Amino acid sequence: MTAPWKWLRRRRLRESEWRDELDTHLAMREEWNRARGLPAGAARLAARRQFGNRLRTLEEVRAVHLRGWLEDLLQDARMAVRGFRRSPAMTAAAVATIAIGVGASAAIFGVVDPLLFRGLPYPNPRQLVSLGYLGPVDSNEFSVVSSYLDWRQRQTAFQAMTSMRPESGCDLVAGEMPLRLACQSVEANFLRTLGLAPALGRDFTPQDDQPHAPPVALLSYALWQSRYGGDARVLGRSVTVDERPVEVVGVLPKGFEMPQLGQADLMMPERLDSSQPRGANSSAFLRTFARLREGVSIEQARLLMRPLFQETAQLDVPKELRSEGRLVVRSLRDRQIQDVKLASWMLFGAVLALLLLVCANVANLLLARTAARRRELAVRAAIGAGRGRLARQVLTESLVLALAGGLAGCGIAWALVRTLVAVAPDGLLRAGRTGMDGRVLLFALAASLGAALLFGMAPALERPRAEALAGARVAGIARTLFRRLLVAAQVAISLVLLTGASLFLRSFRNLASQPLGFRTERVVTASFTLRQLRYRPQQAQSAAFRELEARLQAIPGGGWFALSDSIPPRGAMGRPYSNLRLAEHPPVEADGGIVYFRWVTPGYFRALGIPIVAGRGFEEGERASGDSPVILSATLGRRLFGDESPVGQRIALDGDARWCPIVGVAANTRNNGLTETHPEYYRLRMDGRAPPRDAVALFRTSMAPSGLARWIRAGVAEVDPALPVTIETMEDRLGRFREQPRFLAALVALFAAFGLLLAAVGLYGVLSFLVAQRTQEIGVRMAMGARPRDIAMLVGGYAAMWTGIGVAAGTAGSLALARVAKGLLSGVAPADPRPLLAAIAVLALTAAVAAWAPSRRAARVDPMVALRYE
Amino acid sequence: MRNPDRLQGTLELLILKSLDRGANHGFGIALHVSTVSDGLLEVEEGSLYPALHRLEKERLVKGEWRVTENGRKARFYALTAAGRKRLAEAQDSWTSVAKGVRKLLRFA
Repeated sequence: MTAPWKWLRRRRLRESEWRDELDTHLAMREEWNRARGLPAGAARLAARRQFGNRLRTLEEVRAVHLRGWLEDLLQDARMAVRGFRRSPAMTAAAVATIAIGVGASAAIFGVVDPLLFRGLPYPNPRQLVSLGYLGPVDSNEFSVVSSYLDWRQRQTAFQAMTSMRPESGCDLVAGEMPLRLACQSVEANFLRTLGLAPALGRDFTPQDDQPHAPPVALLSYALWQSRYGGDARVLGRSVTVDERPVEVVGVLPKGFEMPQLGQADLMMPERLDSSQPRGANSSAFLRTFARLREGVSIEQARLLMRPLFQETAQLDVPKELRSEGRLVVRSLRDRQIQDVKLASWMLFGAVLALLLLVCANVANLLLARTAARRRELAVRAAIGAGRGRLARQVLTESLVLALAGGLAGCGIAWALVRTLVAVAPDGLLRAGRTGMDGRVLLFALAASLGAALLFGMAPALERPRAEALAGARVAGIARTLFRRLLVAAQVAISLVLLTGASLFLRSFRNLASQPLGFRTERVVTASFTLRQLRYRPQQAQSAAFRELEARLQAIPGGGWFALSDSIPPRGAMGRPYSNLRLAEHPPVEADGGIVYFRWVTPGYFRALGIPIVAGRGFEEGERASGDSPVILSATLGRRLFGDESPVGQRIALDGDARWCPIVGVAANTRNNGLTETHPEYYRLRMDGRAPPRDAVALFRTSMAPSGLARWIRAGVAEVDPALPVTIETMEDRLGRFREQPRFLAALVALFAAFGLLLAAVGLYGVLSFLVAQRTQEIGVRMAMGARPRDIAMLVGGYAAMWTGIGVAAGTAGSLALARVAKGLLSGVAPADPRPLLAAIAVLALTAAVAAWAPSRRAARVDPMVALRYE
Repeated sequence: MRNPDRLQGTLELLILKSLDRGANHGFGIALHVSTVSDGLLEVEEGSLYPALHRLEKERLVKGEWRVTENGRKARFYALTAAGRKRLAEAQDSWTSVAKGVRKLLRFA
């Protein structure tokens, strides 16, 4: 261990020695000059002149020694290559092992690097934070206009604060086809706060952001390229956005990223109106971001904001929600990666584990080789090679191996990254920012060098012994102990990997087989959003929906049809539970979380196959009547009424004064992702009342989706030819929810398979080595009467012991892993022993297979041959 | 010696030759070269050291710290067996080259 330090110290000593030597020369010359009658100063000057440039001389001396060092290195490398050529099988195995390890880890590094390590694409990204209320309504912090206006005016923690409205769609008319775009309404200082400026044209000014200023917009770089061919004359052009003329004033920077990672095709000023009454402004939501003042930490900013925050919360947040809401100030990176942080660290951990396995394996291979070469090394030591020189030779060999493996690994990484980017679900990888670049290559290089050091260290530290010269087999207890420990460590690591794979696969199977509470097969969905302006009057909007409904319902072969504003397993609007009131019942509890609801047509339950468990479904005739009937989900019914029947009761929704009759109870569905069920209620879409503009049409039909799609488009076009529609099957929609767990499970399973293979190879190698080393001993045993079975048992026992030690260590690691990964697993209890037991079983089986061949070889040892072995 | 590159072999020969009389330090070698050649071969003294270290790396000379008669610590270099052999070879080849050059000069 101390060898490198010694080397460094020696080097520094030699440097000062060289310096001393030159100084001695100068002093001697000066003395000589003085002795010949020169005055002191002149003597020194003359000495210097006669010597020439002292620094350059030192430099040249250094070069002499360095050149020697480099030549040694090259010589070592040449010898290493020659040596490897002599054992091609072992070399190929080592290079392939390293290539797999480096390739896989570099690829995963490429994937997680933009998420975990790389800076965000803004100047001084560490200063950027996201802040706001965090309540049960949303998984991200938000604000409301009235609170934000106060914060902006009175905060002291930030150099700038900015806001944006929730993302919304808009329709751009440019040419024939209307385009549905992602529009972002932002404050005028939005880009400036992020530290960016438009690529072309100008940024928004505070005047643009006034409530009644002439509308202006920034185009995304991609839209500018695709729609306007990158023509600078687009500036000043008027485009039609949601049927209003808007002037294009600029183009967003290329590769611009919204801080919340949303899409931005078009950016317009948000135009907050501080003249509105507080009540109106407190129901308009915002996302808020800020840039910390120089020297202010996030923690300090939180403390500075707290009093202000509490004050505005009193005014703006409904009493029922206040106790559940809290202030959040967190770094932009945390805001961005919250969902994938754990998954990313998990993948990275898996890959590092794999890299460690690789190192252990290659170390084992090299140790076996060194053992075979002990005599050669001893000879070299005897004829004068220093121990350091020999260690360097061995390290150079590992370096050559590692670099060859690393090079091949880069190829593997390149292929893997491309595959991963192609198959990864949206939102897990940072699209466009994941790929092979300098950082990934650097990581691959570092991984190779690190691995070389790790696996080269073991053989390099071996001391060639004089005994080896005589050809005696030096047992080297410590050394074989080290090798066996390596195997135990390999077993432990691969057990952790296997358990991980087992957990993720189980979780994925749970997800795939989860009963959702609604039919998914043969259901086709068509989503669209009515545009705001054309249908602004409520009647017009309601009439448009009725007309669409009539056309879509009339599609021949369309099957069961329904219209809703959203469909499970997500997408419902949420309201505080505490907003509900029951007639002739005490008020509901205050901190009840969120209740979901949807606006549906009577066909909804039939189209999705959701059973009505009590009362009845909605009826067509009710839609024209005065009272607005409600159906509760089973969970909500039980929660509100306990054992009492909800049917026939009356309920007031959402703080509304009007009583609505409860006509039925529907079975639960998964409505918050694939695994969770929240309380939910359904409202009938009434005539003359405008439901939300977002809508999903449902068809449960035996018709082919592609044929149906044509009919749907035709039907919608009859009502509004400019309305974009998205059509997909329910299965496709659900597939998106399953993608991320499937991806994770597949990756971890892949790593576990690699790991298992490596551990098996390692165990096999060590056992073979043990058998070869103890052939003589085995021969003696057999000569003394041991049966082949006993010998096989002996070897098997070793395998069992070291596998057992590895399993024990791995079990501890696996349990820790299960606890950490809990957030990524659905329907798998961390304490569930089955995944672990399955992993142990697979590992034990593999170990048995790996041990089989060496123990058979041992059992077949011929005592006569063995005893003559040396 | 203004062009150490071209005359490197010469410098080494001079060093080896002056060490033939016994171990000496760099300054001693410089002094010896300039006195023996009557100042004809003026060596820039610093350039001795890279050459000395090179010779030491090739195991032609062996350096070691010793105390001079004046009580000063200095690095003394001594010829090794290999150095002695090299000196003999270099002397031979130098003499023959010099002979050749002399003939050439006379002829031209």
